[in-house]
Parts: sequence; C-alpha cells; structure tokens
Amino acid sequence: MSRGRAMAALPPPRSTWDAINPLRLLGELSETRYWMYLLLLPSALLITAIVLFPTVYGFQLSFTEMRLNRPAGNGAFVGLKHYQRMLADPIFWLSLRNTAVWVTFSILIEFVVGLVAALALNRNLWGGKVLAVLILVPYFLPNVVAGNMWALMLDSRVGVINDILVNIGLLQEYKAWFADPNTAMATAIFVEAWHSFPFFTLLIMAGLKGIPTDLYKAADIDGAGAFAQLRLITLPMLRTIIAAAVILRVIGLVNSPDLLLILTQGGPGRSTQVLSLYAFQNAYSDFNFGYAGALSVVMFVLLMLFAWAYIRLSKVNQD
Amino acid sequence: MTAKFDRRSVLKLGGGMLAASALLPHQAFAQQTAINYWHTFTSQSEAAGLQAVLDLFKAAHPDVAVTPENIPNPEFMAKITAAVVGGSRPNVTMVSSERFEDLLAMGALSDMTDRIAGWERRGDFDDKRFASITKDGKTYGVPGFTFVDWGYYRKDWFDEAGLAAPTTYDEFRDAAIKLTDASKGRFGFGLRGGPGGQNFVVNVIEAFGSPVKKEDGTIGLDRDIVVKALDWYAGLLVKDKAVPPSAANDGFQQVISGFQTGQTAMIWHHTGSYQDIASKLKPGVEFGTFAMPAGPATRVARLAYAYNCITNDENADAAWEWIKFWGEPDAAVAFLEKTGYMPASTVAAQDQRIVGNPMYKAAADTLGFGIPQPSFPGAAGWAQNTVLPALQQILIGQATPDQAADQIIEGLAAAIA
Amino acid sequence: MAQTRSGSNLIWNILSYAVLILLAVLSIGPLLWMLLTSFKVEDDIVTRTMVYLPTRFTLENYIKLWNQSGYPVLVINSLVTTTLTVAICLFTGTIASYAFSRFNFPGRTPLMLGYLVVRMFPAVLMIIPLFIVMRNLGLFDTSLGLAVAYTSFLLPLFVWMLKGFFDAAPTELESAARIDGSTRIGAMFRIVIPIARNGLVATCVFVAIAAWNEYLFALMLTSSTGSRTWPVGLQLMVGEFQLPWGMLAAGGIISIIPVIVLFALVQRVMVAGITAGAVKG
Repeated sequence: MSRGRAMAALPPPRSTWDAINPLRLLGELSETRYWMYLLLLPSALLITAIVLFPTVYGFQLSFTEMRLNRPAGNGAFVGLKHYQRMLADPIFWLSLRNTAVWVTFSILIEFVVGLVAALALNRNLWGGKVLAVLILVPYFLPNVVAGNMWALMLDSRVGVINDILVNIGLLQEYKAWFADPNTAMATAIFVEAWHSFPFFTLLIMAGLKGIPTDLYKAADIDGAGAFAQLRLITLPMLRTIIAAAVILRVIGLVNSPDLLLILTQGGPGRSTQVLSLYAFQNAYSDFNFGYAGALSVVMFVLLMLFAWAYIRLSKVNQD
Repeated sequence: MTAKFDRRSVLKLGGGMLAASALLPHQAFAQQTAINYWHTFTSQSEAAGLQAVLDLFKAAHPDVAVTPENIPNPEFMAKITAAVVGGSRPNVTMVSSERFEDLLAMGALSDMTDRIAGWERRGDFDDKRFASITKDGKTYGVPGFTFVDWGYYRKDWFDEAGLAAPTTYDEFRDAAIKLTDASKGRFGFGLRGGPGGQNFVVNVIEAFGSPVKKEDGTIGLDRDIVVKALDWYAGLLVKDKAVPPSAANDGFQQVISGFQTGQTAMIWHHTGSYQDIASKLKPGVEFGTFAMPAGPATRVARLAYAYNCITNDENADAAWEWIKFWGEPDAAVAFLEKTGYMPASTVAAQDQRIVGNPMYKAAADTLGFGIPQPSFPGAAGWAQNTVLPALQQILIGQATPDQAADQIIEGLAAAIA
Repeated sequence: MAQTRSGSNLIWNILSYAVLILLAVLSIGPLLWMLLTSFKVEDDIVTRTMVYLPTRFTLENYIKLWNQSGYPVLVINSLVTTTLTVAICLFTGTIASYAFSRFNFPGRTPLMLGYLVVRMFPAVLMIIPLFIVMRNLGLFDTSLGLAVAYTSFLLPLFVWMLKGFFDAAPTELESAARIDGSTRIGAMFRIVIPIARNGLVATCVFVAIAAWNEYLFALMLTSSTGSRTWPVGLQLMVGEFQLPWGMLAAGGIISIIPVIVLFALVQRVMVAGITAGAVKG
C-alpha cells in the first residue's frame, strides 16, 4: 500500500526499462519515509507468525485450570488463583532467589572473563589466532556434551579434577561437588561460565575491531593510561554490543534449564532449583500447565523489567 | 504352565505359534499397514533387543511395517504430552507403570480390554502383570517386559566378614555398617539420593508400614512412621556413616560406578544393570544378587512393567499385532538375551537360562512376591519433585526427618487434591 | 591498540599472554580429557585409581557411535536446518537491524524491545502451541519448520547483535555516498554492510552455533524418520541403564568437528577483512 502511494508521488519515468527496472524502483522506494518500516516488515511478520499464538496461549494458561492428569475442571477460568498460590509457595521464592544468584554470578564472570580475553586477543600478539580458536572452542559444544563432560570430570569417584586437586594438595580427598549445598551452585556457575564466556569474547572482539585506532593514539598523546582508555574509549564504544550481549545472555540463563537439568536437577535438596527448572517440572512431571504458565509469565515479566531498566540505565537507545 | 518348559520347547512352541499366526489372521490385510512405535530404549543393549524383536516381527508379519521412534527418557512425557494435545499421536507407545495413570488421565490411551480378553496368549500371563495398567476394570496395555528390583552385594567382602546376603532391613543395616571402612575408602551401601532415587524412599516408607494411599484413595501416610522410615534410611548416611558422602547427587551412573570400583558393598537397582556389573566384577565370586530385604512391617520389592499401549485409533488392528508379538516366547527370549530384562509372560520366564542361573534366582523369587508401585495421577511427579528433595535435605543436613516428613505429606496432599 | 610507549606495552603483552594461555588451558584442557576419554576402554574410565593415558587405545567408541546413531543423516539434517536458519536471519534480519541502527522513527524503541520480548517467554511452555502451529502449517518434522522455529528466538538475537555492529560502523562514508547521489538502499548495500561485515560474520557464527546445538525444539518438532538433528541423536545414546562415558566423549568430539571446520573457514574471512583495512575510522 505504501508502495503504491510512494510510486504515485514520483516523477514520470524516462524510459520503459527505467519504469520496470526493479533496482531503480527499490532505490526510489528507499527514499520514501516508510522505508524503515519496509525493512522491518519481513522479520516482524515472521516473528509474529511464529510467536504470537504460543505466547498468547501461555498467558491464557496462567489464568486457567489446566492439569492434564486431572481432566475434570480443565479449561475453567480461575483468575489469579495460580498467582496467589505462587506468593505462598516457598519453593517459588527459593527458586527466584536461586535464579538471581545463578544469573548474576554467571553473567558477571562471563562478562569479565570474556572482556579480558577479547582485550588480550585484540593486541594481535604472535600466536593470537591459535589462542583465539582454543579459547572459543567451549562455546561450540552442545549443552548436552558440556554438561555430561563436566559431570564426568567432577565425579566424586572417577573425576579427574578431584584427582588433580588431591595430587597438588588442594584437597584432602575426592569431593562430591554437587552433593554439597555449599559448592553445588558455585560449581554449576563455574561450568556455565566456562561454557559461555566465549560468547562475550567473540562479540567484544568483533566490536573492538570497529573502534578507530586514532582514538587510542589521541588518548596516548593525552597521557591516558590503559584503564582510563578502557573506561573512556573502549567500553563506551562497545556500549550497544555489550548491552545486547548481556540482555541476550540473561534471557538465555533465566529461561533455559538445560545445564542444571544435566548437572543437578535442582538438587541437592533444591539448592540449585531455579525458576525455569521449576516451570519445567510443573509442566512435564506434575502436568500442571496452569501453574507452569503462571511461573512462565512471572519469568517473562521479570525479564521485561530487567531489559527495560538495563536499557534505560545504559542509555543504549539514545544515540 | 509347568516348569517342564525348557528353552528348546519354548522356542518350538513359539515358532509354531509364529508360523500359525503368520498364515492365519492376516489375510484380511490387503497391503502393508504402517504403524509407528514410541519407546525409550536408548542404550546399545536395549537398541539391540528392540532390533531383535523387530526382525522377528518383520518375518512373521510382512503386512505390518513398524517404524520405531526412540525418545530420551527425561523428555518422554513432554513429547508424548505435546503429541496428545497437538493431535499427532503414535500408534503404539511404551508406557512404564509409573506413567500409566498420568497418561490415562490425559486421554492418551485406548481401552484394550476386549482385545486382551480374546487373546490366545492371555493365559501365559499372571493376572497381576496387568494390575498396573488396569483402572476401573478396563485394561489399557500389555506388558512387554518386567523391571524387577533387587540388590547387588560384594560377595567377596561379605564372605571375608562372615556375613550372608541380607534378608531384612536390620541385617542390611548391620552389614552396611560392618563393611564400612573409611581407611580403605569403603562404604556399606551406595544410597541413590540423586535423580531416580525417589522410588526407593517410597519403598522404605511402605516397608516401615505406611502405605502411600489407602484402599479408599485417601492419604495413607502416617507421619510417625514416615519419620521413622526417613530417619532409618537417611540415617545410613547421617548417623551410621555407611554411605558415601556424595549420596545426595548420586544417580544411576554414580551408584553403579561406585559399586564397580569397589567403593560400596551393596546397591539397589533392577535387573537391567546386571550385564553392566557383570562386565566389571565376577558373578558369583566378586558379587552376588539379593532380593530386596524385608522391612519392619512388610517386604517391598517392586515389579514395574514396560507396557505397550494403543495410543491411536487408526490402524489399531495392526498395532495390536505388534503389541501381542511381545508376548511370544520367541520375542521375549530374544529380548532377554540382549538386555537382561525379565519377560513379563510367565511362560517365557520359565526359560532355562533364567531358572537355571543362580544369579537370577533373586529376580525369579521377586517375581513371586514383588508388588507394583503405588499408582495414581501425579504419583511420579510427587515422588520426583517432593520426596526426593526432602530426602536430599536430610542427607545434606538442611532438614530433620520430621521436617522432611511434613514436606512429603503436604506434597502428597497437594498432588492428589 | 596503543603502540607508543614500548615499556608498558611489553608489560601488557606479557600480561596478555599470561591471561590467554591460562584461558586456553582452561578451555582446551577438558576437551583434551574428552578426547583421551573417547579413546579409552570402559575399564580405563571407571577405575579405582585414575588412569590418565589409555592403557589400550581403542576406536571402539567411535565405531559403536557410528553404527548406532546414524550420524551422517543426522549431521546432514543439522546442516540443512542450520543453513536455512542462517539464511532466513541473514535475509530478514540484516535489513531490520540496519533500520534500527540508522533511522530514528516513531516506535523505534518499543519495536526494538518487541524483538527482544519474543525471546523472553520460556521455551518450555511454547513447545506445545508451537507444535500445533507447525502441524497446521504443514511444517512439522521438516528442516524448514525447525529452522523457522529457531528463527523465532535467533532472529531477535541476530538483529540486536548486528545493530551493535552497525552502530559501531562510522556514518561518514555513508553520508558521503548519499551526497554523491546514492540512494539509501545503494548506500546500505555498497557501504554500510561491507563495513560491518566482520560483525555480520560474527553474528552469523552465533546463530549457526546456536542452531547447530539446539536440543529441545529439535526433539519436540522432529522425528527419527524426518528431520531429527544431531544433538538429539547424541542425547539418545546416553542410555539410562548403561555407562556411556566413552561413547559420550566420542560423540562430543565428533559433534564439534564440523563447527571447528566452519569456524576455521570463517576465521580466514574475518582476518582477511581486517588486514585489508576495511574497518577504518
């Protein structure tokens, strides 16, 4: 529609070929004020087509009685019943707290390690390319492999990590890392950070290559030290990339129970129980889709709040 | 059927049945009917077992083409739920006992009562084999094979200490304490406190005299007894120190490797792990098998079944041919040879290699006195998401048996509400 | 980075090497252990005392894996799905990302957030409705269907990441081209996208890796006779009542080989782009 109106406003074509030349038409279309919306159209349509129904369905479930193994009464509107239950559900609050710990520490470690690695790699040292590939490799592993591999290495009987730590004298005896509530979450975070820090490295590396070197030269002349350069040039220039990476990673960490499913299944004694795991269990082992839906909506809202606040605070969208 | 059946006559009979069934009832099928079969066979031995049954079936029933679809066990319920809700059900689905009630309530299963009643091999099966797939007088599946709970013990260590395989909980605990030797890194019992350990907790509670549900369907858990049972079971670690400290995260793999590497003297599992244990330790010399010991009130040894169920009305006749086939002694024997899983059919269970093998005696005995798991909608979820974390909390010192018992009872009330 | 003061430069170089070597050891160590494990017999893995080097070198794990899992078919399915996913993202996402980066228009911020929001609803609950959508579209159990499902969460990732790279690309050249009479679309394809091509490649790599490794959707939306992918096949080898460590390790090694090959190819492109001086202020 906008295409038709845009065409009407154009001067008459000079030749027949010109009139049908698609490149010229596109070029002229790109000068109209609806151009940006046209650019967004294909992706927006695609995403809406796939996601709209499932998301609406999920929201609707959260206000509905839906226990698949109790067909009687299913589908009835129950208002805020599931949300009220959640407020009084100690496991929900515990999972919320664990989720906060899990996400905060994973992100912090991944970001710091990822940034340091990217800065070091960006110095274009001799052998840097080989080191880059080695460092990025963990990210290529499927969760299934990464999780099981670490489960084997950390095993309290046949785990090589325990053997090494005992041999160098850091441990007295083999430790069951995932059976002790004091170490279970920390160990899981370590595995997660090991697996995903290259996400930040790769992104920041690519971003660093876009920063003009003149800026650093000028800063050098002004006598700014390395940390000042990092604070004043590097981080601000990478602002949107970092913001995108952090938000995307947070979403992934909040929503995906994969790794914890393999490593701990929420144990021992719920000390690594997180919201995504709790929703999964409610849906597919208790078959309470209504409550799982409500949990999902809460996770969704929390993520929205986080993204909104983060974007606000980091002023990503103010360029 | 009598114990006169040896392997050869079983096979002969089975072969005869096969030949007959290949000729007779299938002329009604004009062309090949395709059905798909959802199952959770994953390991190499299970895959080989399924292939053996498929090959035999293909020879006997050229008119039915079975497409097997393997689904990882942890995601099985998610996948079948999506298929049922989304309206693309498989023709035949393997349903383990603990999943029956949930799937039935979901409307996933078809009533097979009449088919089973008219089945020529119905007489081969003990009535109780169908108990965990029957509700309100209707039967929804045929057992393909049996999971028989039992224990493994280090025979060499027991002999050395002058102990016999335990038959009661008291003997079991005594042996566990006696065989624990911290200086050698040895523990008496490899308690499964990680994934999959929930069912043993329920067993212990029932063995102490508190059924999960009463006959009338109300909660049967008696708080005092639950506390006692938890205190005894978790106490093997927290008081007796007869269990490796890693128990709270020990799933199947950890428990088995602990036994294989000589860390533990006893473990509980079912017969499906026999080949694995026997590949590392010498049967009858280094290790032996024992039936689940009797608790203070009753003996709880579980028999669970992998049922094959019709889950789609389309091509139900072809589906029934495939389901029936698992009851043929030929198929059951071929499957046992590859996997170690016990046949569900009484006739097949008389096979010489089961009856004649002393290592399988405990399993053969258990087939007699074993009982099914408590079964009701939500049972599996309650055991996994309430009972197991409660046990873990005692194991790691975050809860007393009293607190854990409260969680378990409240969780059950919520699950059946 | 800074090249002038050679003294502090040396210190930073040494520090960088220290950090990189430490990280490389941490990253690659577990993989080497996995490689070693994949050549071990089960007796060397489940042992009373740790066995570091295989006492008996074996390829048995790889052979069993190959025979059981149908690796070639699964990998081809994975390749097709991954390629389709990247292609869809590339065609629809690049222009969207460009629009977000270069234009200020009413509704821009809410729209950008909208792209993020669709990622936020937990996949756990999206599975069943997505299953129904795919069946109705006739895309159930097809590589295209799976790729489209992936697009629902990878396209937002693609757009957001790429926007960062477009933002970082200087606008001067583009303005100059516009002054020279180039249309917006001309400037976009001839100037901006080539400048941001490192970012474009990096973003595609992410999308490709995510699509390659995805498990839950692949499991739910495909079957063994159709478009099942490699990670699902890999999970299936982990038998419930068997100890599959050796095979699992072999599976891990096999599953990263195609990704490393891809990355090695891409790395060359990325390096070529940098040395040619495409990115200059």
